[in-house]
Amino acid sequence: MNGLLVLPVAIPLITATLALLFRKSSQLQRWIGVLGMVALLGAVLVLFRDVHNDGIQVLQLGNWAAPFGITLVADMLAMLMLGISAIMGVIIGIYSIFDIDRERERFGYYPLLHILIMGVNGSFLTGDIFNLYVWFEVMLIASFTLLALGNSKNQLQGALKYVFINLFSSLIFLFGVALLYGMTGTLNMADLAVRLPQVENTGLVTTVAMIFLVSFGIKSAIFPLFFWLPASYHTPPVAISAIFGGLLTKVGVYALIRVFTLLFTDASVHNDYLHHILLWVGGFTMVIGVLGAASHMEFRKILSFHIVSQIGYMIMGLAFNTAMGLMGAIFYVLHNILAKSNLFLISGIAQRLLGTFELKKMGGLYKHYPFLAVLFLISAFALAGFPPLSGFWAKLSLVKAGLSLELYVITGVAILVGLLTLFSMTKIWLTAFWGTVPEEVPGHFGKLPLFGAGKLYILVIPVMIIAGMIILVGLNAQPFLELCMTAAEQLLDTSVYIEAVLGPQ
Amino acid sequence: MDTILPILAGTIFATGIYLLLRRSLILTIIGIILISNSVNLALFSLGRLSTENPPLIKAGSLEPLAPFANPLPQALILTAIVIGFGLLAFALALAYRSYRELGTVDQDELLKDAEDTSAAIVPKNDFKDGGDV
Amino acid sequence: MLTVIALIFIVALVSPWIHKLFGNKSGWVLALLPFGSFLYLASWLPHITAGNVVQQSTPWVSMALFQVDLAFYLDGLSLMFGLIITGIGTFIVLYGSGYLSGDAYLSRFYCAVLLFMGSMLGVVLADNLISIFVFWELTSFTSFILIGFSHEQENSRKAALKALLVTGIGGLALLAGLVLMGFASGHWEVSALLNEGDIIRNHPHYLAILILVLAGAFTKSAQFPFSFWLPGAMAAPTPVSAYLHSATMVKAGVYLLARMNPVLGSTETWLILVGGFGLLTLLVSAWLALSFTDMKQILAYSTVMALGTMIMLIGLGTEMAMKGLAVYILSHAMYKGALFMVAGAVDHEAGTRDVLKLGGLRPLMPISFAAAALAAISMAGIPPLYGFIAKEIVYEAALEAPLWPVLVITLAVIANIAIVAASAIVVIRPFLGKKVETPKKAHEAPLTMWIGPLILAVLGVLFGVLPFLVDRSLMIPVASSVFGAPMDFYLSLWHGFNLPLVLSLLTLTGGILVYLVWDRLRESAPMKVYQSGFAMGPINGYEGLLAGLLGLAGWQTRTIQNGLMSNYLITILVTMLVAVGYTFITRSGLVWNHSFENMLLQEWALSIAILTSLGIILAFRNSRLTMVIGAGVVGFSLALIYLMHGAADLAMTQVLVETLTVILVVLVLIHVPKLIEVRSTTSRIRDAVVAVGAGVLMTLLILAVTAVPFDAFISEYYAEASYPLAHGRNIVNVILVDFRALDTMGEVVVVAIAGLAVYALIKMKRFGSPDDPETEGAAPDGTASKQGKSS
Repeated sequence: MNGLLVLPVAIPLITATLALLFRKSSQLQRWIGVLGMVALLGAVLVLFRDVHNDGIQVLQLGNWAAPFGITLVADMLAMLMLGISAIMGVIIGIYSIFDIDRERERFGYYPLLHILIMGVNGSFLTGDIFNLYVWFEVMLIASFTLLALGNSKNQLQGALKYVFINLFSSLIFLFGVALLYGMTGTLNMADLAVRLPQVENTGLVTTVAMIFLVSFGIKSAIFPLFFWLPASYHTPPVAISAIFGGLLTKVGVYALIRVFTLLFTDASVHNDYLHHILLWVGGFTMVIGVLGAASHMEFRKILSFHIVSQIGYMIMGLAFNTAMGLMGAIFYVLHNILAKSNLFLISGIAQRLLGTFELKKMGGLYKHYPFLAVLFLISAFALAGFPPLSGFWAKLSLVKAGLSLELYVITGVAILVGLLTLFSMTKIWLTAFWGTVPEEVPGHFGKLPLFGAGKLYILVIPVMIIAGMIILVGLNAQPFLELCMTAAEQLLDTSVYIEAVLGPQ
Repeated sequence: MDTILPILAGTIFATGIYLLLRRSLILTIIGIILISNSVNLALFSLGRLSTENPPLIKAGSLEPLAPFANPLPQALILTAIVIGFGLLAFALALAYRSYRELGTVDQDELLKDAEDTSAAIVPKNDFKDGGDV
Repeated sequence: MLTVIALIFIVALVSPWIHKLFGNKSGWVLALLPFGSFLYLASWLPHITAGNVVQQSTPWVSMALFQVDLAFYLDGLSLMFGLIITGIGTFIVLYGSGYLSGDAYLSRFYCAVLLFMGSMLGVVLADNLISIFVFWELTSFTSFILIGFSHEQENSRKAALKALLVTGIGGLALLAGLVLMGFASGHWEVSALLNEGDIIRNHPHYLAILILVLAGAFTKSAQFPFSFWLPGAMAAPTPVSAYLHSATMVKAGVYLLARMNPVLGSTETWLILVGGFGLLTLLVSAWLALSFTDMKQILAYSTVMALGTMIMLIGLGTEMAMKGLAVYILSHAMYKGALFMVAGAVDHEAGTRDVLKLGGLRPLMPISFAAAALAAISMAGIPPLYGFIAKEIVYEAALEAPLWPVLVITLAVIANIAIVAASAIVVIRPFLGKKVETPKKAHEAPLTMWIGPLILAVLGVLFGVLPFLVDRSLMIPVASSVFGAPMDFYLSLWHGFNLPLVLSLLTLTGGILVYLVWDRLRESAPMKVYQSGFAMGPINGYEGLLAGLLGLAGWQTRTIQNGLMSNYLITILVTMLVAVGYTFITRSGLVWNHSFENMLLQEWALSIAILTSLGIILAFRNSRLTMVIGAGVVGFSLALIYLMHGAADLAMTQVLVETLTVILVVLVLIHVPKLIEVRSTTSRIRDAVVAVGAGVLMTLLILAVTAVPFDAFISEYYAEASYPLAHGRNIVNVILVDFRALDTMGEVVVVAIAGLAVYALIKMKRFGSPDDPETEGAAPDGTASKQGKSS
């Protein structure tokens, strides 16, 4: 039992409540927002130490022994996800100070942001499948509102698709939970892991696994269920785009990894069949997403389609179902959150300088803002998997995992998609950065310094922090790879998780 | 009796799906309401049905009278209903606001994916009152 | 060695500040860095000459499944490449400081070129397969930045992209090849692989590995048909092209194949693929050089030809070929570096590089002329220069080719004839003959720009006259490491009157003849066809491929991401139906052991009520109020069902929520006008099929799951624990507030946020709307006014 487990959920809730109380004062809300995120990061770090030193940490809420109450479980995967979520929280907290306008602040931007983080953290921590549904809904309502906040036409258009498709996906998820309960009589995930293999009709469990694949697949935007994502993620303010694009879809991926390693295993389902499907899904997701990115000329739309493409890599790593593959997938998730969010944040700075997201109307950033260009290069080439940046290790471990399983076609596809990723990143680079300064630019372009009177540094510093982390993870990959490997090993050996939750079997 | 509820759930689900695919957002929302109801009903029947006693403990006894109805699905459905209602209220408000802004509730006509979005997030003058961060 | 490379990277990153500090002199200061590295590498020369190798290794990532070391391996081959990279690099830094003097981007040039140098040095020194790839990709990236240096010109950007994509795809193939090689042999160090070539060659994946590695090397070293990116990359300023194309970038592929020769080589496949591509490249590109008038383009194609020669020599794999390779690489690096730099100097001083617009520059630029002349004589293979020795051995190697020697030597001679003519063109046309008016008033280039070419050209003479200066110390170790076994030879200018010499004379004569008819040849129709076929063909292929890809992408996006939510929904539904339905039918199968026997009258009544209301909803789709009421009736009927099955609390909540829902929907209905459904019959039938399918699937799934034996152990525990431990008599309530309190908390949060959201949706003003004065006109200068106000 570790009482600290409640903090990643409690701190955002308290922060949100405080921010709501001081809704009238932007100033106070901003401070509360950043401080809340920093406190969250601190709590996560303390918890991380416990998990790292003592293994999986468990909290039985209300002291009701599992599987009767709700259990919070922090294994290494959950911790890594919590860690990145807290880091992104701090980053977005700072970025929002400048990026978010008064009006949005007055209508509850900060409470919503923190509730979103709370939902995300709850999803990572919970060890109960119905509770996961509840966290998903918390996350959804917060994200719905953040997406629509501002009520502009584009936002509403995007929000409508996002809302209805995700509402539907949640209901499918709930139906899946109901079926699992109907088969086993339990909701605790560790208990499910014990009881699902005892269900005689393995095919039926496999069918339920498919329902989860569809539902979480919609949430994590896999092929052919991703449509809502590129339709909506480019519409809200950049800070929100960044946290959606970076963090939110990865919660779906996390849920997929969790259920397909803990609940649906060789013992309980026709696993070869499912992993075969996952492999195909991963491949198509990669290709379709990257082609979508290639066909667009809007900064954030390109990034949105790339989210889809890179989800494919993570699904592929999951489908490999080996320590190396899972490690690659987890590392990819973490790296992708950094790189992708950073690119969104950079797009925001570029838009402030040039007044648009349309690449055709952009240019001259390399000439006038070389430092911003360097930051972009770091993130973009990390995304494309160039060494020695973080993405390289993600790519390398997935390639190694694929080749060692002799899955040549999918590995080849993954490698080629890497090149296409590079292609669309260079598309941004060649126009917005290397291109000539467009004829119509805002008057301040080229004169407004990144560090100085315009206070753009509030936006640039978070980007610098992430870029620094990308380089750090790239140059000093060992500890991060080891953590991901620990997480992967914990996932593959479900008995550790089960024993931590239910006690010795 | 444990046969008719699944059939009812399936029928409500089917109707919901059909409405979900209509052009009017209002019908889509009614579709969601029906789907939500059908999933709740599914959860209810998956907890297995027993007729008689509600899961209440009479004064003076320590346990409910057996056979009692399975309380866990009831609690889950209660949570799901309330959550569903929250989301529904949001969806309705969204549809209303979308009608106000976009002038229609037709899915097909005005819900194309947004193209140029720069205008949507015009940086607002944040520090105009001279406030410092 | 890691220290040296790291130092280069660090200095590269701070070079803008060094530039700021030293101003005009920064070129000299920064040139100390490659020069120092050169001296460091040179200090190992005696050690290497003695037949030793140097190995250094620092672990980077070391895990059970994942081992990557920053390992370095210095033998003859890597030492020669290291010396070329740092030696010519020294001159390039100096040259760049003169060429780009006054350019606002000079500091960015220093930074990029030094980064490139470090990466390139990494490629040739690295021992670990993965670290080779790391540096390899870094050269792709840094060369992208360098080639696109004049980024405001569209063709520069395109050329940079072309180079990046072509070398990028090769790099990725290389990664796959290297990883496969590691798996096949179990070794991740080249030094270990060198002795284990048989394992790889006999491995079932040999062919795959070979093709992947070749793809990497051929794209980087611009072998036909991937050669097209290289001439395009001439859009870069001359210091960049001189460096990338004489000494470094394009040699990486040559280096890699030379390095891998003992591992992958000496098979028939190797001979045919490597030798064949080399031969094809050298023949095609040599004559292409003659179809251009731009000095840099001529030099570019002659470079491709030289690369083809090197690749061919590696492919031949004989002792003589290895000897030729060693000498040829060194001599080519020297003369080509010099010629590129002179071409740049001419461009810089006279304002054009087109040989037709130049002439008689000799008196104006005497030093440049001297350097160019010596280098060109070396390139043409005329004694007593080093290039002559190189060409003689190449001919000898070709004559000894293990396969079709006659064909090989014939093609080699034909190609070299063109190169002789090209050498003549780049020197005689600009420097000799009548003086031609040039765009700029020409005069001698500054010291920084002629010192490099001059030294390189003089070295060509020196090594030619006194070949023993380098043969024993460097050439033998180089050839031995490529060959994979110790070799011994000496070089000399005079080999006696033998067949190669005859062929050399033939080449020279032919070259002079071709030079004399060059103007007519260039304009002739066959040459035009040749040029458009071989130079433009691959480019068109590349552009066609790119356009095709973009077309496919655009088509795909228009088709599936078409903006219609109903399409998105139907795709998702069909996917769900197929995926879940197929799995259910094939894996589980239907389970039916149910009956309608125990049905109560009330249940029949309720079922009929629900079904009727659903029917009403569907029938009266255009009467919205009827529909809402229908949906309400369904909800209330469910409440009754719940009540019948002992769920009183649930029933109450259901009634309450259903009532609120109906009220809310009606409230919205008042404000929103009616929409008449106008979908086609086809789509309605489609929707109906999907809907019915989904409903049937749901029913069958529930029935199948309820057939599984059920253990309500949790609820039984709740029944036991509810009162004694949690002090509640209503078990459902106890679950909500105690056993599963966290769910309830989440639920409360959802409702609270929904309230906030509804408020914002109804009250908040829209951005950019005319009735919102705050946003009006703020679009372009929102930030500017912000600046104004806050400063």
